[in-house]
Amino acid sequence: MRLSRRTTAGAAVAGAAAFALVASGCATEASEPSADEPIELTITTFGTFGYEDLYEEYMDLNPNVTIVANNIDTGGNARTDTFTKLAAGSGLSDIVALEEGWLGSIMEVSGEFVDLRDYGIEDRAGDWVDWKYQQATDPDGRVIGYGTDIGPEGICFNGPLFEAAGLPSDREGVAELLDGGWDTFFEVGQQYVDATGKAWYDHSGFVWNAMVNQLPEGYYTSDGELNVDGNAELKARFDQLAAATEGGQSAAQGAWDWNGGQSFVDGTFATFVCPGWMLGVVQGNTEAGGGDASTGWDFADVFPGGAANWGGAFLAVPETSDKKEAAAALASWLTEPEQQITQFEAAGTFPSTLEAQAELAANPTPNAFFNDAPVGSILAGRAEGVVAQFKGPDDSLIQENVFGPPLQALDRGELDGEGAWAEALALLDELVG
Amino acid sequence: MTSTLARPEQGTPPATPGAAPRRRTGLTLARFDLKASPYLYIAPFFVLFAVTGLFPLIYTLVVSLHDWPLLQGQGDFVGFDNFAAVLGDRFFWNSIGNTLSIFLISTVPQLAMALVLAAILDQHLKARTFWRMSVLLPYVVTPVAVALIFSSVFSEDSGLVNNLIGLVGIDPVEWKHDVFASHVAIATMVNWRWTGYNTLILLAAMQAVPRDLHESAAIDGAGASRRFFSITIPSIRPTVIFVIITSTIGGLQIFAEPRLFDVSNAGGIGGAQRQFQTTVLYLWEMAFFRQDFGRAAAIAWLLFLLIVAIGLVNFGISRRIASVEGNRLNRRARRQLAAHRRGNR
Repeated sequence: MRLSRRTTAGAAVAGAAAFALVASGCATEASEPSADEPIELTITTFGTFGYEDLYEEYMDLNPNVTIVANNIDTGGNARTDTFTKLAAGSGLSDIVALEEGWLGSIMEVSGEFVDLRDYGIEDRAGDWVDWKYQQATDPDGRVIGYGTDIGPEGICFNGPLFEAAGLPSDREGVAELLDGGWDTFFEVGQQYVDATGKAWYDHSGFVWNAMVNQLPEGYYTSDGELNVDGNAELKARFDQLAAATEGGQSAAQGAWDWNGGQSFVDGTFATFVCPGWMLGVVQGNTEAGGGDASTGWDFADVFPGGAANWGGAFLAVPETSDKKEAAAALASWLTEPEQQITQFEAAGTFPSTLEAQAELAANPTPNAFFNDAPVGSILAGRAEGVVAQFKGPDDSLIQENVFGPPLQALDRGELDGEGAWAEALALLDELVG
Repeated sequence: MTSTLARPEQGTPPATPGAAPRRRTGLTLARFDLKASPYLYIAPFFVLFAVTGLFPLIYTLVVSLHDWPLLQGQGDFVGFDNFAAVLGDRFFWNSIGNTLSIFLISTVPQLAMALVLAAILDQHLKARTFWRMSVLLPYVVTPVAVALIFSSVFSEDSGLVNNLIGLVGIDPVEWKHDVFASHVAIATMVNWRWTGYNTLILLAAMQAVPRDLHESAAIDGAGASRRFFSITIPSIRPTVIFVIITSTIGGLQIFAEPRLFDVSNAGGIGGAQRQFQTTVLYLWEMAFFRQDFGRAAAIAWLLFLLIVAIGLVNFGISRRIASVEGNRLNRRARRQLAAHRRGNR
């Protein structure tokens, strides 16, 4: 196509006009609305967050506020959504929920989020378990997130399957049976496998996550150095897991699928590592697979190797928001102890504030699905002694794409323990470098 | 139009000196209108294309020449380092292999089936509109829904397909672990969605083929399949080329299907051992999971070049095949038609 000079000029003018249009659309208003003006706040959460009733309550308390909520189905998709909008420099809502697993990446650009000390978060610092507050603090001391929930871990187990294998099947008996380190957990697992010929846990990936999250330092040292190759503690745990898997303890299930939930119902595996938020996942999948409370899932007050945390979230206010003060006020209110209890009742997410935890420990409601287990008080106990682990920028990449594939090969018997570890190191070198 | 505008100037000289510039302005405007208007009318498309197509294309090139972490943004200029890194990555070549394999086992049967379906729909069927609309139905369903449904159909433990082949005594197939089986599964999703769409495009072209060609060939004793290969296909050549080119562009950009076929690997690697990670999925992993925007941009450019190259090859092949057929047909058909007419006389 040949362009005459005139059309080139015309196109240039039109292009410039379009560009100006886009540019003006991106400009943000600097002024903060005053207290009584009608104000619309947007908030993005993910998974099962349990905030719907709280939004209504807040809008009743503050008639000038309208909350426009958006919930993304999984944490993984929320990660993509948040990263894309951060990279584009626009599009984030006034409040964004951040997941602990990818907080490491967020901390690299913590300046994109408001320092909540400007909105009085320091006055509330004592509300949270101290490590939760620490996690939201960047190296410069800026605090960018109000903690919502945490992920203390217990063991979900299937009572009838334990009974059939000749093991204790009541909650206290199982807690006693599994009390100890990972070696105890895998020894009992081997007994179960030998007695029944069926698998002990669903797949190696989740167990590995739990084992890594429990260490004081995981894939990174506390100083932010990559800490996999030559990490004796990590390797020792990998060997334990590999030996158990080679002994037939893994059901080699596909995570987030579990054969459409049927594997939770047909006795494919007997135990499951359960952070608080996972209880909803277990229930949802059991029901999807055609099961119910009578399927026999229960929740024991024990975790191999002691206290561990997996997951949890924060509410942050991006710098691009033009209603920072109102957004911070809402985010702060949502994470107050009273509201965290409402959230727990709606979604099973375990509170990160001490007061809410104490309340749940003192007045546990039996969970009908988990054989009437006092889930709140068990999780409160499991939360004691949790140590926060530093999450590096590539933590979720290492978990998913470096250790994920070799562990699945291990589950399927395509690699042995040594082969899987070597493969993980090779992938680490290629993907993270 | 030019001549009518020019005539008064030649016929009547300007009465007053002041009138001349005004008339000249009017003339310039008219000339401008004449020359520029057509371009202005088509300008919206090109302006839109420049903003939404050309600008991203060039900007992607700029990104690909820089060290560019997703969240931190633009870093140092690194020349073609990103391209070198991608070209030296075994996962890139793995993704290219997967893409080509899925492309071939989806596009070839798809177009063959679309041609046959279109030929059937071109016959005098009862409830013609019903059948024609029916083939388009799968296209209405979003790719995400298609992927979710087929993901369950191809489930390894208790999926519909494994249950069905179990009835005839075939062992369950590992649809999400075996390389070839997973490609077949994904190609099935693509075919299911796109066959009907291509059928309708080909059908539209077939209806424009002159009926008298068919009739005279039939009178001369050519069977249905002979007429299909010797008259229909050469006559709809441009449409076939169009369908092949659009299928090539679409087929090399498969993303939603492999992304959603494997829920267990959140990092977008398409199967535990990257059995069905296509190039666009690899691009997604690079940009949003590995957070290397520069390399992702380089992948985008390499994929663009690959699509252009394969598109050109396809264009050349389909043009040659169809034109050889077409020339042979034209000569023969002309001769036959002439003979036919002579016979009639």
